[in-house]
Amino acid sequence: MAAPRSPLDRTHPGLIAATAVVYLFLLGPLVIVFGAAFSNTTFLAFPPQGLSLRWFENAFANSAFRASFVTSMQVAFGGTGLALLLGVPAAYAMSRYRVQLPKALSVMFVLPILIPEIVAGFSMLRFLQVSLGLPVVAALLLGHALLVLPYTVRVIGASLAAFDFSAEEAAISLGSPPLKTFVTIVLPNIRSGVIAAFVLAFITSLNDVSISVFLTGPGVSTLPIQILSYVEQFFDPTVASVSVLLMVLTVAVMAAVERTLGLTTFTK
Amino acid sequence: MTQSLALDHVTAHYGTTRVLEDLSIRIAAGELVSLLGASGCGKTTTLRLVAGFMTPTEGTIRLGERDLTRLPAHRRDIGLVFQNYALFPHLSVADNVGFGLRQRGVAPDERGRRVAAMLERVGLAALADRYPAALSGGQKQRVALARALVIEPQLLMFDEPLSNLDAKLRVDMRVEIRELQRANGATAVYVTHDQEEAFSISDRVAIMDAGRIVQLDTPETLYQRPNSEFVARFVGFENMIPLAVTRREAGVAIAEGAEGTRLALPEAEFGRVPDRFVLGARPAGLAVTDADAPLGIPATLGLRTYLGRAYQYQCRTPGGALVADGPLDRPLETGQAARLVPLAQQCCILPDAGRR
Amino acid sequence: MRRLTPWLLLAPGLLLVVVVLLAPVLNTGVMPFASGRAASLYQRFFFGSYNQGVILRTLQVASVTTLVSLALGFTAAYVVSRAPAALKSLLIVAAVFPLLTGTVVRSFAWMVILGRNGMANDALLKLGLTSEPVQLLYTQFAVVVGLVYLFTPLMILSLVGVLENIDTDLPRAAASLGAPPRAVFRQVVLPLATPGLIVGSVLVFTGSFTAFATPQLLGGEEQTVLATLLYQKAMVTLDWNGASTIASAMVVMTVIVVLLMNRLARRLNPASV
Repeated sequence: MAAPRSPLDRTHPGLIAATAVVYLFLLGPLVIVFGAAFSNTTFLAFPPQGLSLRWFENAFANSAFRASFVTSMQVAFGGTGLALLLGVPAAYAMSRYRVQLPKALSVMFVLPILIPEIVAGFSMLRFLQVSLGLPVVAALLLGHALLVLPYTVRVIGASLAAFDFSAEEAAISLGSPPLKTFVTIVLPNIRSGVIAAFVLAFITSLNDVSISVFLTGPGVSTLPIQILSYVEQFFDPTVASVSVLLMVLTVAVMAAVERTLGLTTFTK
Repeated sequence: MTQSLALDHVTAHYGTTRVLEDLSIRIAAGELVSLLGASGCGKTTTLRLVAGFMTPTEGTIRLGERDLTRLPAHRRDIGLVFQNYALFPHLSVADNVGFGLRQRGVAPDERGRRVAAMLERVGLAALADRYPAALSGGQKQRVALARALVIEPQLLMFDEPLSNLDAKLRVDMRVEIRELQRANGATAVYVTHDQEEAFSISDRVAIMDAGRIVQLDTPETLYQRPNSEFVARFVGFENMIPLAVTRREAGVAIAEGAEGTRLALPEAEFGRVPDRFVLGARPAGLAVTDADAPLGIPATLGLRTYLGRAYQYQCRTPGGALVADGPLDRPLETGQAARLVPLAQQCCILPDAGRR
Repeated sequence: MRRLTPWLLLAPGLLLVVVVLLAPVLNTGVMPFASGRAASLYQRFFFGSYNQGVILRTLQVASVTTLVSLALGFTAAYVVSRAPAALKSLLIVAAVFPLLTGTVVRSFAWMVILGRNGMANDALLKLGLTSEPVQLLYTQFAVVVGLVYLFTPLMILSLVGVLENIDTDLPRAAASLGAPPRAVFRQVVLPLATPGLIVGSVLVFTGSFTAFATPQLLGGEEQTVLATLLYQKAMVTLDWNGASTIASAMVVMTVIVVLLMNRLARRLNPASV
């Protein structure tokens, strides 16, 4: 239902044109990566002179890419799962017992955002791998869990803020034990928040460079780091096709979420 | 310089939905007219059209000699008081009030004087440097009022200005608004859904329904002589009794309705009674009398509630449920038979149009 | 027991933050001091001419990136916030999508565009602006373009939120008081959006100040910034004392910028006091 437009609501055509240019700038490069992925030339050029799938074949044939994809998946699922396992109770505690907890506590959960990732990555390398002697995959898992913890706490916290805890009290007063109450009453009501947190965290972890670049070691790499080192050595469209596969994966995850929740989840 | 406002055959749409239909109204210079109705009746749309936040699909809006219909909002010279006050949160009270003067290019010292004088008038001189976030609801309301008044607009408009205040403050503020409007001499349009508020403050009230004005009259006329069942219900005529005149003798119309209902209506008291009509009656307009009285509406008394000034009875009658007041000195029992007799002061004669 | 419940729920999360972040970072912070050469390390970091160049370049890149994405982001956000609902959600999704694509992929896209045989050079040659391919990649320009590309969506999204939070009655009130559209924008919309502009700028500044993948891919060695210098020292030359010094300095500089900007935002927004 659009209101009849008055001069107040009219947007200057110059601004609209400028916005169109901004969006072209935002989306154009992604289109170009697609074009390069399907090209048949050995150097990176756009528009492609001919179409082929050779770079996709090249990507799939590359065992380093395959291995790093598996590592990325393990780390993203594991790290996100761990972050949810720790983040849900923390978010619940902070919403439910707000008054009893010191305010400064929330800073702890913002810290991973506040401290530059590159610094965190370097420090983790020294502390977790060198000092504590953790294996590469374990360090990666912990590092990624920490990286995405703020997202889980914040998104689920926002969900909980909209939840009326008197429903939980009502359930307990009707004889339901606390843990069961959480599972049967609270969790269903913050379901969309948990899913959104998962997706956001998963994608963040999947794309991480700054922490992973320090924690990956010889033979164990995540996909973005593998792409990074490949690009530094070879300048051919293989990476474009890997990028396309990554984008397709992202779109698939987003589409799945759109189906269940609607995309507005991300802008809240 | 105050001006009259005229809307002629105005029609407006939201998308494809028509929200205002061929609406015409004339408001005299210096007059305060309320637009009264439930939400969605078109009262706020009317205000938005006059303010210039919407353009009508048909019709014209004139303020004095000026045609406002397509004029941008900022050139209309209308003082508008918003429901949520719409104070600029980043400006102090003084700067909020001075905003309109600044747009008009009034020099800073002159502006300062006029703002100070206006704040004095609304009793906020001490709060000039505060920011809106630090004000109470009533204070915000006064700032909004001062901001609209200080530009000495040709037209003042109020969009449910008191709906966010508590009951006591609402009564105080409406007196204040009326006094300021009188002193200012500005023509004013006042939008509200509160009947008491509209009646207490206005020279005339336009009752709106479904994008049309159903009656525009003084509060007294509306209260005593509504012209339709819709308006009658709006002003408290809860009982609607369809009747037909069977006999007229010596200035008294004898009217009959549902089984056993027979009333004598002196035209000197009730006014001219048409052959078929609906008698609108407030609860206080139906007196509860003995069952063996010769005239009246036969009724069985239901639940009795105590109102302080009277007892009120939910009555079952052959024509349907009615609400009537009975005397305080003689409470009657549930289930008792009675007759209900109309009292002219609390009744009105309505056309039968809607009921067929 | 009841008083302990919240702490028991928080403990695992807090433990993760302490063990995986706080302790390592503090450990990094004390490392230059533990080495007993803190003074000389910091002196070398802040006054060595090569490092000074890197610090200045990093600040410059971050500032320019912030200003450009502010201009692009605010323009787009203003238009998006006023668009009809259906178009608005489409535009928001279009801004979210690049955000969900990784920094490596997005920087790589610009390698394709800015490379010797890339689109940019192609266009320049065709337009006759140059007779042979120009070096675009591995320049400061490339780094800024890549970072602007990275952060503009973030700016758009945070500013759309800010602009949508402005009560629609406020521009109306201003217009009814006689303010023409330009004055409504300058005197009402802009001041109310300013705190949001600052918050967005902090995000972009700190993000581009510490960005790694983009300068690594688009800047190369010629355009070393603090993040890539830290990486080189840590992983290539294995100068961990030097790397720790850079890391500590980056944390301090980031925190200072965040605090200063937050303070500015609060001062510009008396309404929230």
